[in-house]
Amino acid sequence: MLGVVQPVEDVKQRLRPFGLFFERSLKDLIKGIRAHGDSPESLEKYLAEELSHCREEVNSLDMNLKSNAVLKLAYLEMYGFDMSWANFHILEVMSSTGMRNKRVGYLAASQSFNRDPDILILMTNLLQKDLKYSATGGNDTYKIGVALSGVSSFVTKDLAKDIVQDLLLMLNNSKPYIRKKTVVALFKVYLQYPESLRDTFDQFVLKLEDEDRSVVSATVSVICELSKQNPSIFIQLSPVLYEILVTIDNNWIIIRLLKLFTNLSKVEPKLKHKLLPKIVELMDSTSATSVLYESINCIVKGQMLSTDDFDVAMKCLKCLNEFCISQDPNLRYISCLLFYKIGKINPQFVEQFDELILHLLCDVDVSIRSKALELLNGITHDGNLKLIVSTLMKQFVNEEVVVIENYRNAATRDVPIVVPEDYKIKLVTTIIKLCSMNNFINIPDFKWYNTVLIDLVVVSSDLKDKTRLGSMIGEQIKSVMLRVPDLRNVTMTTIITILTMEKMNLSTVLKECVWCLGEYSKLIENGDALIQLLIRNAPHFNAETKVVLIPAILKLFGSWCNGPANQDLPSIKIVLNDMIDFLDTLTTSSSFEIQERSIEVSEILKLSLDAVEMQEQDNSDEGGLPLLLCEVIPGFFNSYELLPILAGTQRRLQEEGQISSVDLITPFLTQTELSNILKDYDEIQEDGLSHTDRLSDHDGKYRSESDLDDSVANDAGNAAAGDEVHDDLHFLEEQRRQEQLSNPFYLTEESEGTKATTNDLLSLDSNDSSKREDLTLIKLASENLTANAGKTGERKKRGKAKRAVVLADEVVIEPNPRADSTTLHQKVAALNKSDRGINLVTQSQLSSFDFSKKGDDRELDDAENEAELEKLRKKFAAQSLDTSNVSEPVEDQEEVIVIKKKKKSKKKKKKNEEDVPDESNTVQNE
Amino acid sequence: MSIRFILCFNKQGVVRLIRWYVGNESSGDTQDVIAQIYRLISSKDHKRHSNFVEFSETTKLVYKRYAGLYFVMGVDLRDDDPIYLSHIHLFVEVLDSFFGNVCELDIVFNFYKAYMVMDEMFLGGEIQEVSKDVLIERLGTLDRLE
Repeated sequence: MLGVVQPVEDVKQRLRPFGLFFERSLKDLIKGIRAHGDSPESLEKYLAEELSHCREEVNSLDMNLKSNAVLKLAYLEMYGFDMSWANFHILEVMSSTGMRNKRVGYLAASQSFNRDPDILILMTNLLQKDLKYSATGGNDTYKIGVALSGVSSFVTKDLAKDIVQDLLLMLNNSKPYIRKKTVVALFKVYLQYPESLRDTFDQFVLKLEDEDRSVVSATVSVICELSKQNPSIFIQLSPVLYEILVTIDNNWIIIRLLKLFTNLSKVEPKLKHKLLPKIVELMDSTSATSVLYESINCIVKGQMLSTDDFDVAMKCLKCLNEFCISQDPNLRYISCLLFYKIGKINPQFVEQFDELILHLLCDVDVSIRSKALELLNGITHDGNLKLIVSTLMKQFVNEEVVVIENYRNAATRDVPIVVPEDYKIKLVTTIIKLCSMNNFINIPDFKWYNTVLIDLVVVSSDLKDKTRLGSMIGEQIKSVMLRVPDLRNVTMTTIITILTMEKMNLSTVLKECVWCLGEYSKLIENGDALIQLLIRNAPHFNAETKVVLIPAILKLFGSWCNGPANQDLPSIKIVLNDMIDFLDTLTTSSSFEIQERSIEVSEILKLSLDAVEMQEQDNSDEGGLPLLLCEVIPGFFNSYELLPILAGTQRRLQEEGQISSVDLITPFLTQTELSNILKDYDEIQEDGLSHTDRLSDHDGKYRSESDLDDSVANDAGNAAAGDEVHDDLHFLEEQRRQEQLSNPFYLTEESEGTKATTNDLLSLDSNDSSKREDLTLIKLASENLTANAGKTGERKKRGKAKRAVVLADEVVIEPNPRADSTTLHQKVAALNKSDRGINLVTQSQLSSFDFSKKGDDRELDDAENEAELEKLRKKFAAQSLDTSNVSEPVEDQEEVIVIKKKKKSKKKKKKNEEDVPDESNTVQNE
Repeated sequence: MSIRFILCFNKQGVVRLIRWYVGNESSGDTQDVIAQIYRLISSKDHKRHSNFVEFSETTKLVYKRYAGLYFVMGVDLRDDDPIYLSHIHLFVEVLDSFFGNVCELDIVFNFYKAYMVMDEMFLGGEIQEVSKDVLIERLGTLDRLE
């Protein structure tokens, strides 16, 4: 009985590996999965069941059952089931002697072990055993093969250290099969444990001369891969490799060698002389496209092509030209890439291939088009720009289709090409780049460019990257406006078209447009209508645009009032009221910049409104405009025409200025002058006069200015001082101009700081009668600067001391330095006071400066009890009474901090007021 | 690094073969990565588009569709593509000879044999044998061992 059963069991056991039990079991699983495929729930349930079966089976003592379970797990692993929990069982299966089980084990290990390196520690011994070759063992070759495959998928650094010697021994195995596998396995070992490459390099590279071609091929492949990471160590092999290249006729190996030489040639340019003729020869002799491609690739990527190698370049490009028009999209794509690279080496190479590039632009594969786009700058010239741009523009509009031929029923159908968003964005940027390239050199006709820009606005409105595109287009519009004076009318029309465009949701383009409207407001006749339009549309503008809009409408208003068509007072009043109403809505904006500008402008406008009303009451017969409207407001903006300036000029001027012409060190006041000022402090306080050496020549005017200070302070509603205000504002304007002229940072036509080079760039119309006057003014200002030389030290010291004050606020200090600091406080405050008188224009800036310091200063005040300070505070109080009426209350204390910066920031501020986004200053001009 | 992974899935995105030769670089779940690859590739029209897709910052996919199966290789972004297409093609040719007019079901039911083919051709992400005859002969021997 027993004797009968035993063989049956035995037979079953033996049959299992041959497929009976085992095959059915895996088949069952797969069939089960397919049967449950219709509903995810039932599939999930089924898989869970199967998994629990597997869990039981792997615990079985029967090695075949265990191996079977492991195989099923390996299958389930592809469905995303983690099997690392079974790693130990896998190890068991791997260590079984049967070839089948061992193989299942290694397969599972390849799938699973790379997630759990710890298990590898356990298997080092096993691996070393499996890698031992004994000539007697029947299947040892394959056992080793399986082990090597396994090792190469999950080797780690530690494992690599342990087995590298075993692998080295196998390099000289009698079987090419093992040598080949070992070579490739060593590659993984080297990657994990690079030190071993140094020790085994010689033995390894000997395999390049192996008698078996597969081994040579594998060795070349491995060296090729390794040389990607570190080419230099393989350069010594060049002669051997070259010999192989010359003698071998296997295309696979040739391709590998070419790749290898590509890597080597990158670090060893000398290789070029030897290799290039051989590669060119290869190109002539081979018929295989892949070899041809790799040859070109090797030449290009191996940096063997220098900018004057026209012959080789043309040879390559002609090949590529053929590839690029072939039917195979892959070949087209990669050839296009290479074409692109050659084009980058020297754009002249691709010049004659403009037809091809235009052809590629219309390729059905959008990624090929995208590469062709990048090549365009090589072939663009003024003759074909229009053609190229219109080709590109069409791609936005035309629904392109590909005709697909259906071979079965010989019918054709049209399949639309899906043009992805990214590509469209690239189209827009490319068009802009091509047109603006080399300072618009290729543009034959700016009217045409204007229409292109309008079209771009339309097409960009729907793209996701429209914020950036909008500002890019805006920049273009501004540049054209600025640099093509003859066509400003056309550009202005463009802007107004854009502005009035329906469904325009490219809000970022408006920023520059609105700026242009303001800056070139003289071109517009019916400014009132435009102002109304802007005000109507303003709620849709973004914050940046609103910032620009505020001064723009003021400019528009100024130009309109003084335009050729004399405006009557009532209509001016209507516009004024509209503007004031509009600006009032912005005064509560969350953006500081908008808030500040709207308040500034609205105050000016309120003054103007008063002036207009006055004029109406006073003399309705004369009909002239108030001075404020006809001179002051235009004067804000019309002093200079903005001109394009070479990029970087501003910085150069600043650098030069620092070195030579601008004295930043010399103080403005001598010691005695300073003490005089301090002495005069009380007097200043009484009559509200302030004093600087700078304006001492203008004493008379200066007084009137402080009167102005008062009159403004006494609120714009008080119209009694109307005319006086006009005069004063006029003076103020004049004074502002002077300051600009004396400001080394302000680019003027004849500023002393500018050198000959910049004069060329800045040449203004010389019919300006005020030029002479300006010149003298500059001189005057700079005389002052030099006259005050030698007072630097004092100034500097004060600067430092001031900082001490600031620091003192933050740190708790002992009485002594405190007393010190208060006297300084006093001095500085006094000086400050005097400065303030001059700087009516910059009041708002002062008030906006560094609010954070305010609190600290107050704390300081609170903390101080000394009598001296008390006195000082009274002075402060009186002083702030003086200034509190001026549109915004100004903290004196904070000015203590401001003072040093005042000079500089004031100028910056003014510039901002006048030409809002002054980037235009840096636009190139040649 | 040469081939980072070899992946084979059908039109529904069910994975048939997968072998990672380097640790999965993207920290995300393997299944997510596969799903991502599937989405990328299945959305392309394989007849008209080139067979290369940029996948991540370091990896490019080279793929080819044979009947209902996509064969995908993840390779270095800087690598040249055409050679990998030949690899895929050779792999499929060998599968075809080995199974005899291979179809998806062959690979499903004999997935371990398909892996065997893969292991004979590729080792650690590097191609080790490019001769189809040698491969077929070797695989025949291995198959008889079972």
